[in-house]
Amino acid sequence: MLRQDSAWARRKGLLFGINRRNVELVYACNPRRHYPLADDKLRCKELLVAQGIPVAPTIAVCRGLFEVERVVATLRDKQDFVVKPAGGSGGDGIAVVGSRTATGWRGSAERYISEGELRQHLANIVFGAFSKQLEDKALVEERIRPHAWLNTLWSDGVCDIRIISHEGKSALAMLRVPTLRSEGRANLHRGGIGVAIALDSGITTRAVLNGKAIRVHPETGANLVGCRVPHWKECVAIARRIARGVPLGYLGIDMTIDEDRGPLVLEINARPGLEIQNVTHTLLGEVIPGAAS
Amino acid sequence: MPTIFSKLRLSSVFVLLFFVGLPAALAVYKLYFLDYRLTDVLPRTEYHVSVKLTLDGHLGRARVRTFLPHNDQHQEIFGEGQNADQTFRFTTELGQADNREAIWLGSAVPDQAEIVYEFSALANAVRYRIDPGLQVPQGYTRAIRAYLAPEEAIQVDDPDILRAAREIGADSGSIYERLRKIFDFTASLTQRPFKGTTDALTALKLGEASCNGKSRLFVALARAVGIPARLVGGLILTNGTKRTSHQWVEAYIGGHWVPFGPTNGHFASLPENYLVLYRGDEALFRHTSDVNFNYAFTTTSRMVPSKRAREVFKVFNVWDLFARLNLPFSLLRTVLMLPIGALVVVLFKNVIGVPTFGTFLPALIAAAAGETGLVWGLVSLVIVTMAVVVARALVQRLQLLHSPTLGILLTVVVLTMLGTSLAAEHFDMKQLARVSYFPIAVMAIASERFYLSLTEQGPAIAAQHFTGTLLVVLGCYLVMASLAIQILVSGFPEVLLLVIAANIYVGRWVGVRLIEFWRFRGVLRAQEAAA
Repeated sequence: MLRQDSAWARRKGLLFGINRRNVELVYACNPRRHYPLADDKLRCKELLVAQGIPVAPTIAVCRGLFEVERVVATLRDKQDFVVKPAGGSGGDGIAVVGSRTATGWRGSAERYISEGELRQHLANIVFGAFSKQLEDKALVEERIRPHAWLNTLWSDGVCDIRIISHEGKSALAMLRVPTLRSEGRANLHRGGIGVAIALDSGITTRAVLNGKAIRVHPETGANLVGCRVPHWKECVAIARRIARGVPLGYLGIDMTIDEDRGPLVLEINARPGLEIQNVTHTLLGEVIPGAAS
Repeated sequence: MPTIFSKLRLSSVFVLLFFVGLPAALAVYKLYFLDYRLTDVLPRTEYHVSVKLTLDGHLGRARVRTFLPHNDQHQEIFGEGQNADQTFRFTTELGQADNREAIWLGSAVPDQAEIVYEFSALANAVRYRIDPGLQVPQGYTRAIRAYLAPEEAIQVDDPDILRAAREIGADSGSIYERLRKIFDFTASLTQRPFKGTTDALTALKLGEASCNGKSRLFVALARAVGIPARLVGGLILTNGTKRTSHQWVEAYIGGHWVPFGPTNGHFASLPENYLVLYRGDEALFRHTSDVNFNYAFTTTSRMVPSKRAREVFKVFNVWDLFARLNLPFSLLRTVLMLPIGALVVVLFKNVIGVPTFGTFLPALIAAAAGETGLVWGLVSLVIVTMAVVVARALVQRLQLLHSPTLGILLTVVVLTMLGTSLAAEHFDMKQLARVSYFPIAVMAIASERFYLSLTEQGPAIAAQHFTGTLLVVLGCYLVMASLAIQILVSGFPEVLLLVIAANIYVGRWVGVRLIEFWRFRGVLRAQEAAA
């Protein structure tokens, strides 16, 4: 009993709650002035492109209400693109646009998107509806064609890989898979599945849905555990390059794997969440040097 | 210890000195060199008593006499006033034992005539220590000797009373020993509900009595063994309306009239809420017969700062400052309490991990609830939130941009508050009518967040956040509504520096939030089994 208690106390000392993450990781490693690099997807992308990191190609940028018409005009003959708020978080405000129809586009889940709706969405984004600021920019990117393996896990939406990096070293990694309930988003708190990835081998070790361990995707039936993530060495290499090229010491790097282009970085996060500890069954203190106190 | 000092950086030393040392030094200075007393921080209960008398005068002459409370060390009476039917002439006079008698005399008193006498009272609990060696003196002055004599219902010279005094052993020993025996004996009589007057002898013979019988027996036995004693009549002040009055006794010991309450076990002490109306074996009301006389006492109470606190807390006297600026005390306490409320929110969020809408919304709501009362504050919160959610759902159809949407919601909050106030006033719900104290803009934004949470994260998460918000409002209210803390901060505004110190501490605290133990229970336990 006593030994168990002391083991628990030791584990407790390795757990990173929100308070400890903020004080010991975010504030200690990430200077406030560099937050915009992570918070503003546009600036982040520019930085990544400058360093030769692969990202989804940009089609258009809408920097204010005055540009909405021009951007809609640009998009009129385009299809398969994604509209994102530059300052959004948690996948809010991301619209996936598919093939062109006579008057609009097909959206995700067979939804029809009219030009008016697209205009409205762009305007909402630049008005800051999805960001913490009063105004924002909208980013239009080519839609990613997920790698065949990711498509077997979930085809309607993007599975993403998150690598937590601390002081230039990758600490933890997971794959996030959307479900029917998460409505195509990969966020864990919306009902996405978290799949732990062993950093050295790229093999998935366990999967968690709503806090419960699972082995197969409840809807697609795809096997989630014991799989080899394609292009894993490249993913880890990209994470390392970003960690060394960005002036932020504690980072969540989100990427996905495109069928043609291989790993593409989606965004970086200066305040990555803590749920990855539950997914990987590893406490941050176990993998971050000097955290055991 | 150089190690400690080397660990503490200069900035930490400064922070510690300024935010903890300074308020501590100021408090010590005030307590030791100025006339501050910490007990003055505690609020007092102020009672408001309304005595309502009704009688049917049949348009004839009628007279009603009762007793009014007076000021002494135990009780402070103020704000007295009477309101009676026009026919009555109201006079007061000083009667036996310095009782204040109130007399209403009417010549053509109608039926259902009403007399109301009101006053406010602040009282202190009193407790006497009786010197155990004090002996019954040889004699008393003439005025005091009157309190040894038999009366109609206090049969001091009756053989049964004298025998009882001997049997319980009250006829020997010090004053303390005698009174202790009399007290224990009278207190041990079977308690009966009030059924009219019981004299001392009857109480003794039956072995049971209500308060007036026990008190008369106490007085009779005390007088029988040479201790002057008298009846005291008054009220036990509790909120509500009642007809019951109460009687207890006073014994003359070493030049003081010391209270005893054999009915409720008060030995040489009087609780704070015992209001003295008269002394001696008197009837509380005397009136012309055949007037269908009735009466009722209605008591309400509220907590008020002690007068001394206000007079004594002179350094940086925020009370006076607000008085000079013509601002009410309610605003002062709201302003002073906000940092405290915010600290409560911080503790709930960062130490426990309760989710809320809006960072300091719970503190602001709790401050507003200080005006409406907690229940009505929460009711108002629910009403406003519901109105905004409905409005937000309707606005959603218009697909408006963000800021105009918020502008509309703000207007809806204002309209809802006005509507609620109007309706509440119409139905005479005064507390709910004060809903307009709500922080309007914060309400609009928080309700909008509630709506977004409802639609985007689902009702479960939204309900969690809403419950969390209510919980923190409750926590904030309990702390912010505490008059003691309010007076403490008014008298010692430097306490707010301690609030900053607490925030600095919590701001650097890296401990696991309480709910995170639940959130990470799997990963905390999993490897333990493997280890």
